[in-house]
Amino acid sequence: MGNTGQNHNIGIALIHMITCFVILYLSFNPAGCMSHEEQVNEFFQTGHTNNWAVLVDASRFWFNYRHHANVLSLYRSVKRLGIPDSQIILMVADDMACNPRNPRPATVFNNQNQHINVYGDDVEVDYRGYEVTVENFIRVLTGRLPESTPRSKRLLSDERSNVLVYMTGHGGDGFLKFQDAEEVSNVELADAFEQMWQKQRYHELFFMIDTCQAESMFQKFYSPNILAVASSRVGEDSLSHHVDPALGVYVIDRYTYYALEFLESVKLGSKKTMAQFFKVCPKHLCISTVSTRTDLFRRDVSQTLLTDFFGSVRNVELLTETSSLAKVNTSSRSGSDTCSKDSCKGTDRKPGRFSYPEQVPSILI
Amino acid sequence: MAAPMLRCLLFFLGMFFFGTNASDEFSEELFIKPLQKGYVYSHFQFTTKWNASIHHQETFQHYHLFPKALGEVLLHYDVQELHLSQTQGLWHHRQWGYPIHDAPPGAELWVWFKPSVKDIDKTWTDLANAVSGLFCSSLNFLDSKNTVTPRWSFRPQGLAHQGYAYRSYFMRYGTLPREIVCTENLTPWRKLLPCDSNAGLSTLFNAFHFHDANYHSLGLHVRPICADSACMEEAIELSQSLSVVTDVVSTSNTGAPHWSLKSLFGNHLVSACPIASKSVIMVQTANSQEPLPYRLTPEPTSVEEVIRGDQKHSFAVYQVPSFTHSGRVLNVAGTYNDVSGLQEDGTPPPIHAHRYITGYGLSDGGISCLIHSSLPVNQSIIYLDILPWFTRVYFSSLEVSNNGHKVPFKVHYVPAKDRSRPHHLELSFMLWPHSTTRVSFTFTRAFLKWTEYPPDANHGFYISSAVITALLPSSFGYTSPPQESSQLSSIFSENSTSYLIRIHTESLLVSLPTPDFSMPYNVICLACTVLAIAFGSMHNLTTRRFIKEEAKAKRGLLTKVKSFFTRQKDATLSEQADAAESADQNDIKEKSKEKLEASNDKPKEGDQS
Repeated sequence: MGNTGQNHNIGIALIHMITCFVILYLSFNPAGCMSHEEQVNEFFQTGHTNNWAVLVDASRFWFNYRHHANVLSLYRSVKRLGIPDSQIILMVADDMACNPRNPRPATVFNNQNQHINVYGDDVEVDYRGYEVTVENFIRVLTGRLPESTPRSKRLLSDERSNVLVYMTGHGGDGFLKFQDAEEVSNVELADAFEQMWQKQRYHELFFMIDTCQAESMFQKFYSPNILAVASSRVGEDSLSHHVDPALGVYVIDRYTYYALEFLESVKLGSKKTMAQFFKVCPKHLCISTVSTRTDLFRRDVSQTLLTDFFGSVRNVELLTETSSLAKVNTSSRSGSDTCSKDSCKGTDRKPGRFSYPEQVPSILI
Repeated sequence: MAAPMLRCLLFFLGMFFFGTNASDEFSEELFIKPLQKGYVYSHFQFTTKWNASIHHQETFQHYHLFPKALGEVLLHYDVQELHLSQTQGLWHHRQWGYPIHDAPPGAELWVWFKPSVKDIDKTWTDLANAVSGLFCSSLNFLDSKNTVTPRWSFRPQGLAHQGYAYRSYFMRYGTLPREIVCTENLTPWRKLLPCDSNAGLSTLFNAFHFHDANYHSLGLHVRPICADSACMEEAIELSQSLSVVTDVVSTSNTGAPHWSLKSLFGNHLVSACPIASKSVIMVQTANSQEPLPYRLTPEPTSVEEVIRGDQKHSFAVYQVPSFTHSGRVLNVAGTYNDVSGLQEDGTPPPIHAHRYITGYGLSDGGISCLIHSSLPVNQSIIYLDILPWFTRVYFSSLEVSNNGHKVPFKVHYVPAKDRSRPHHLELSFMLWPHSTTRVSFTFTRAFLKWTEYPPDANHGFYISSAVITALLPSSFGYTSPPQESSQLSSIFSENSTSYLIRIHTESLLVSLPTPDFSMPYNVICLACTVLAIAFGSMHNLTTRRFIKEEAKAKRGLLTKVKSFFTRQKDATLSEQADAAESADQNDIKEKSKEKLEASNDKPKEGDQS
């Protein structure tokens, strides 16, 4: 017994040693960065500490497969660039992957070649089907959700959050249709963003929209720090890219297709800028004119990194010297806060034999 | 010297991580049952037993194998029992017998709350929201419009006091027949498993194969159970199940009914979950004395035979670790020697049902449910039907009949309230031996307000499945484990004489009178047209100056010739001459024609804008 006790102590000591060897901590700790003025400046340059994404596919029905593929392609990209699922609100108005018309169930492809299944095994849809309404969308943005709404359905951003809002669907001059039944107008959207700004729900917001006459959706914006890009001018249609004959529907829209082609080349530490991103789809590829709005945005878009919105870059620095951590008493935890057989015996309200109730009321037999 | 030291260290590292609550138990099982006509039923059963009481607050402060995300929900909403199923497709009882967990198409949630809950309806709504967040589903649509408190059909499946169980006051039941089940539901469900899908049976999960199958059901059940056989202590059991029915014949390239793990799930089994106390594959080989029509490879670890009531069930059991421990793969396969018997209809199970819509047109309708019994004795059943408020049931039309004779029944009926409560019909009656009993009633369809229609109103509106509950004396076609444990291997030691079935019928689709949703647009167009015509003519009439014209003398031929020449002269003088006032009507007409032609020659400017 004495021997095992000794071994136990050695075991605990070893654990502490292991924890001391691997220490990671954020470089904004001033003690760690005193000597690297440049790095500190670079770190604080962007001004944001977390990234959020709201991705909306507002179209119902099978023939709008391409909008579904658009939004999932973008979902895949932002997830690949580091935004976790818990910080992505994905709204998808219909079910394409498990639609009876889909000959390849549980998959959505954004390309005829089918090399990327954008639906994947790891997709988490937060709002789906009938839940995708204008009301829910505005509520998510402004944070005015019912109390019981789970965390996964909330945009819990703060004044240090960079938010990406991507929308796709069918639209017209000044509106975007939701589910072919209702629509959000550009004035409503501008007011929602203003409310977000006043409630300190974003630091910078990047609005991206792929729909017909998309430019009209950001014309009414008046809140600061918003950068916007739209797939087409007012009076122009946004066009789809190509059709998959096996599905019989168009699989992706032109603007998103070329934007995605660009995003696929972006790695996590990439220095590509928003200015480069704005040029991904020239008129001869998109057929529509990609329109941008930068007057509300403080920074120079040619200095703004793409990953400020599409990725979640955590600046982490490795420390070379060893820090010692205070010893934590782990032994006192076991027993008191778990309810094992022995410890709970005394607190049982009704000691005695438990039983299963009858499954069918006996009076009915 | 170093080796024992290292072993000791590893032992204590292990103690450090797992020692705090080592009494948790996890088991993984896969049950395979080949069905008639080339279908194969596969059921994954993952059971986590947490040796702690669900009634103690302090239980939920420390977790080991039980998922914390779920534990927090159970604690916060005072849940005693939670049963959730998400299903795509319909289980065909007649052909396939009874599944281990029966589930209706769409989503079904039923919950028993602890007696400490103050406002059950609010807690239920909040819980549905929380569960929907946990499983990426739309369970938040479970509101008062599709929730009932069944009186007889459901009883706590776990430990409960008789007084608590007798009244269903603390229970809520709700279904969403239209709920979609897709990979986003499987992902969070899978993440609750201790091994996720990194090791063990869950490595066989393949969304592509699951959603290509005829039937696919995800289940999650939490309940308090006995910690040991003496039942002096409580434990919490989390049962996660995934059922798939695959049509092997149509999905295989050769059209042969041979099946294997590889053909069913696209993969071999390479490992067992290391923290599972039990990792087993069971193949139900036969219901009776008939020889096996297919050959199993590899040879099973053991063959278990169990007598359940009047039926003998035999299972080939594979202990997964003994096959995979040395890096080999396990691919259980069934190869048919003789496929002739496969196409025959199997013997249907003792009770099965078929439910359908009757009537035609958009005003009235009805529902009939045929319940077939092949038992030699009277069998009492409970029938539960929940209808949305907009199908207004005529209670007077309710009839239970058997071959033209009326069957006496006991009824619990709660009529609907518009926009707040569904119709809740619960019946209890006898099924006579070898007969078919029909439950039927009629309803009329209510009008919805135009904002209440969903975006795809023309698709129709779903009525959830009816639930039939019975305690059968025969275990023919029965596969569920006994009440004491959700582990499938507990079947081997079962000795009960009655078998609870709860079967779900088809969900139904009714179309309601749907308005023309473009009507507001049409009304605007029509109103504008009417306004334009009415206002235009009124405006014209009220603002025009009327001048009395001199009565004209009748013109002779000479006058006409004269006037023709004067007109020719005028035309040559000036195009812009304003001759309208003095000239006669014929003149004006011709002038305007000329002008029209002139303007047609000009380039069109308006088309481009």
